[in-house]
Amino acid sequence: MIDFDPSSFGLAHTYQKEDKDEINTLALPSAPQVIYKTLNGPTQVNGGNKLNNFKHGTTTLGFVFKEGILLAVDSRASMGSFLSSEQVRKVIEINEYLLGTMAGGAADCQYWLAYLANHCRTYELKNGSKLSVAAASKFLQGILIGYRNSGLSMGCMIAGTDTTGQHLYYIDNDGMRLKGDIFSVGSGSTYAYGVLDNHYRYEMSLNEAVELGIRAIYHATHRDTASGGVVRVYHIHQNGWTKVHDGIDVVDLHYQFAQQKGLVGDGDEAKQRLF
Amino acid sequence: MSGIFEYNGGSIVGMKGKNCIAMACDRRFGQQMSTITTNYQKVFKIQDNILLALSGLNTDIHTFYALMEKEINLYNLKENRKMKPTTFANLVASALYERRFGPFFVTPIVAGLENGKPILATYDSIGCKSDLDDFQVGGTGGNYIYGACEAFFKPDMNPEELEEVIGQSLVSGCDRDALSGWGGVVYVLTEQKLTVKILKTKQT
Repeated sequence: MIDFDPSSFGLAHTYQKEDKDEINTLALPSAPQVIYKTLNGPTQVNGGNKLNNFKHGTTTLGFVFKEGILLAVDSRASMGSFLSSEQVRKVIEINEYLLGTMAGGAADCQYWLAYLANHCRTYELKNGSKLSVAAASKFLQGILIGYRNSGLSMGCMIAGTDTTGQHLYYIDNDGMRLKGDIFSVGSGSTYAYGVLDNHYRYEMSLNEAVELGIRAIYHATHRDTASGGVVRVYHIHQNGWTKVHDGIDVVDLHYQFAQQKGLVGDGDEAKQRLF
Repeated sequence: MSGIFEYNGGSIVGMKGKNCIAMACDRRFGQQMSTITTNYQKVFKIQDNILLALSGLNTDIHTFYALMEKEINLYNLKENRKMKPTTFANLVASALYERRFGPFFVTPIVAGLENGKPILATYDSIGCKSDLDDFQVGGTGGNYIYGACEAFFKPDMNPEELEEVIGQSLVSGCDRDALSGWGGVVYVLTEQKLTVKILKTKQT
């Protein structure tokens, strides 16, 4: 508990019990709450009580490079330790020039991104021009701030193209909206960042970018239990988006990468004792 | 995924065949959602005709195995003979109950061949022995493996069939469990030999 001088905060009035008849401008908390914000979990007050949050069991990533934006996602859905599906579509096609990635509650992401799609189309019809990525992401942020503390779970990226170029935004259920060049969201994001940060260059070609996205997702699926299935890759360019890969099985990728290194890939390169 | 039995994850399965037994286990060693290694040993050869498979908290897997290894070595030295599988099965139950109020967080399966007759026993973590079934499972993926076992199992299979069936059951079961997998090993024990086969599974 940290002691501080209330007057240093420039408050006009501090709430005292006997002052309840007067108008208070601001109520002062007795101890400052320490708020931890993480990219792949909900806001945790006073340290939170769980290291792993399974509502965000996934790995999605996106990065900006000279040919546009690359999005890569896994396809696993888990309920605790039960794998409910290995074929989920975590990139939501909002319209021909906007894509959204899904992390957290699938229902929340699907519904609100469809709502955003509706809003974008209405705007286009009323105003004769497409909604910018900045405005679309801001609209979504506004909705999520309104539902703050009501239990929505969303950690999504909005990526798209408009008259000013290709842009990538991260939006979450706390109402955070960040514009950036590299994002990875979900329980496997830490593993993906390791690979992504190592090889990312803005001047990459499309092939190199696709390869990097696939590799980063693969590494996350190998280490993180809540990520797996297949890798789906999308590319956003000035004419909209293209689905580069609809589903590359990470199991095949594992043995492929192992073979490239001259290994078997059974995880037992050290030839441990078997019995 | 709370719970001490779900901390490391892992699955095991044992089956009886015609004058043979088979055990299979996954190879994952994890800490909650993170996978640390993919070559952790969960099936141990206690004696030429006895296999012990353990699932649960990995530290207790190792400790309990070391305890059983000690017991069987002392038995061999004191009695100057091999231990029978049914005797070992009872020993496991007593050893677990000895720690009734501070148990080992493991669910063992013991499999062996006694005069050619297959023995399979499974326990809860405090030593309740159950030895009447033809196949048994353990671990976080256990329930999913049960489904596959019921579908594929038939009594009195020969060693080759048994190896195929137990391998398939393990893999299908582990594919639905986030905490098990990352490799598989199948052990088939007959009067003549012990065959150990590493399965190529999903590494995700």
